[in-house]
Amino acid sequence: MSNQRQASSASQTPHLSPAELSYLYTSLSLPGSPIRPDGRSPTQFRPLTAETNILPGTNGSARIGFADGTQAIVGVKAEVERTTLSADTLDAREFDPNHDRESQEGSAAVSGHGSWVQMSIEIPGFRDDDALPVFLSEMMRESLVGSVGADESGMAGGLKGRLVINKRWHWRLYIDVLLLSQPLSYPLPLLSLTTHLALLSTKLPKLKSQGEEDPFFDDDWAVAEYLYPRSSSTLKKSPSQHVRPPVTLLVISVGDNVIFDPNREEIAVADAVLAISVTRGEGGGLKLLSIRTIDPPSRLTQPGIPNSENVNMLGATPAEENALTQATGEEEVSGVWRPRRGGVKRSVVANMVRTVLKKGGVGEEVLEGLEGVEVV
Amino acid sequence: MPLDTSTTYPLTRLRLDGRRWNELRLLQAQISTNPASSGSSYLSMGNTAIMCSVHGPAEGRRGEASGSAGSSGAVVEVDVNIAGFAGVDRRRRAGGSDKQSSRIATTLRSAFQSHLHTYLYPHSTISIHVSVLSADGSLLAAAINACTLALVDAGIPMPGLLCGCTAGMSGSASTPKDPRSDELDPLLDLSLPEEQELPQLTVGTTTSVPVGENNMDDEGEETKVAVLNMDSKLHFTYIETMLAVGMDGCNQIRELLEGVIKESNRA
Repeated sequence: MSNQRQASSASQTPHLSPAELSYLYTSLSLPGSPIRPDGRSPTQFRPLTAETNILPGTNGSARIGFADGTQAIVGVKAEVERTTLSADTLDAREFDPNHDRESQEGSAAVSGHGSWVQMSIEIPGFRDDDALPVFLSEMMRESLVGSVGADESGMAGGLKGRLVINKRWHWRLYIDVLLLSQPLSYPLPLLSLTTHLALLSTKLPKLKSQGEEDPFFDDDWAVAEYLYPRSSSTLKKSPSQHVRPPVTLLVISVGDNVIFDPNREEIAVADAVLAISVTRGEGGGLKLLSIRTIDPPSRLTQPGIPNSENVNMLGATPAEENALTQATGEEEVSGVWRPRRGGVKRSVVANMVRTVLKKGGVGEEVLEGLEGVEVV
Repeated sequence: MPLDTSTTYPLTRLRLDGRRWNELRLLQAQISTNPASSGSSYLSMGNTAIMCSVHGPAEGRRGEASGSAGSSGAVVEVDVNIAGFAGVDRRRRAGGSDKQSSRIATTLRSAFQSHLHTYLYPHSTISIHVSVLSADGSLLAAAINACTLALVDAGIPMPGLLCGCTAGMSGSASTPKDPRSDELDPLLDLSLPEEQELPQLTVGTTTSVPVGENNMDDEGEETKVAVLNMDSKLHFTYIETMLAVGMDGCNQIRELLEGVIKESNRA
């Protein structure tokens, strides 16, 4: 039971003593320049290897391996499916005489539906319906599907809109994520980056039929079209060619510092763990899709005991006048680990979002890096 | 154009993918693909692609190690996962595992439990994780080969490489074999469309590496059948032919796998 609880928060926490946690926290929260255990800068990512189009049997696939040995493979498969209007759309039409039939059907069929994208995550040692895989897949699916919901006008930009073939037919997308090793750190960034790459390499057969005919496709795979169109020339891009699948980044805050791509030890002392999803919008600028907080594992750690409260140290420390207030255990003693409770400051969250979204910021860097992975 | 072997093969003596009866598909393999495990491998036979990782020998999980098998030697655990995108149509397994993958897992477990020198690691567990990335026939055979490579990479002692291969007949073979007009050919290394329409069996063989004085004479290597699995129905007179062809395929695969292992040592 306790195992499962730990897994559902931010993955397995390493067994660190309160003194180690305190040391780690202090060095990570140094104002201005945190010192990370592996010597990275706050916005630096761990090295990774990536390749795409590794599985000929899928519409798109990718593999990413982190330097610590965790690997993930994502395969995207697409199927043609008949569009059936959902019951609530039909009901709405009956009760709303102002809307004529055409526009109703049009809006349902043009905007696409969130359930057309299905995502499943396999993590060794976990069942399909365990909390971690379900939570992760829903977190990633929601940003994928949601990347369209906000703007009503240009549906062409989002994933749901791209799946529409015509009013009666659509594509259904299955995204299967395979984590090949035990999750050493919280697997979200790895899975999200791999999914992003797989979607970038996803191709759908070229449509030969027109308009409202039953769909009929070109059987030449060489002319298949990318789900997310790419162009070699950066000069003239139509707005929809800028759009990229979302990327979810894991960000932690320690004190006032904001740290990207945390490893397991760093997550263990985080004040707050946030999953920030960004994507490239139609203008080419970055768009914030969602922010989710993840239960920080530091909440579950054991607190350290200051010398003044430690029974074994009673004689060793000079008697203090304020021993009474110390005994309540609510006060922060420097150098003594205390589980983090009580959330995160607004300014820190704002700082996180700013670092991700600003021009030349982390979000742009990650998206460009992934773009650079050769898509053959 | 008819897309089945039983009508086209007698005319052309070529199989659907253009192979002759005794040809293997292209076999490619790599070992040490995943640094986070004790041993790992990637193996592709034609369009069948499998990744395998081995953890251990390590202390088993509590509760399981207390069993009687745990005290005498290591326990082999096998977990087979066929990815949703492996087949032609995307398939979602209900409830976490399906019949095919659990059958492969059981066969692999019993094969490697008796094949490995498990007595060297009492009270420990060797866990093997097999992911099928792309399924195009001969899954069990490919899984056996991938596991062997991963176990070699993990450095777990075994008497010889355990190699698997499939063999089938080019027709339904439900009547006794007629020695005068031999219409049916045995086929080696079946792909998925062949596997679905023709009778087939999977055979896994091993050799004991000659040690000491036996090293000198060429006859020292003897082949033993370690795995034999057959799901389809055919007349018993054909089994000997299929077995012979399958074992020959295993020998070819063994040479290829040995090449992979030697190549990886050089790098």
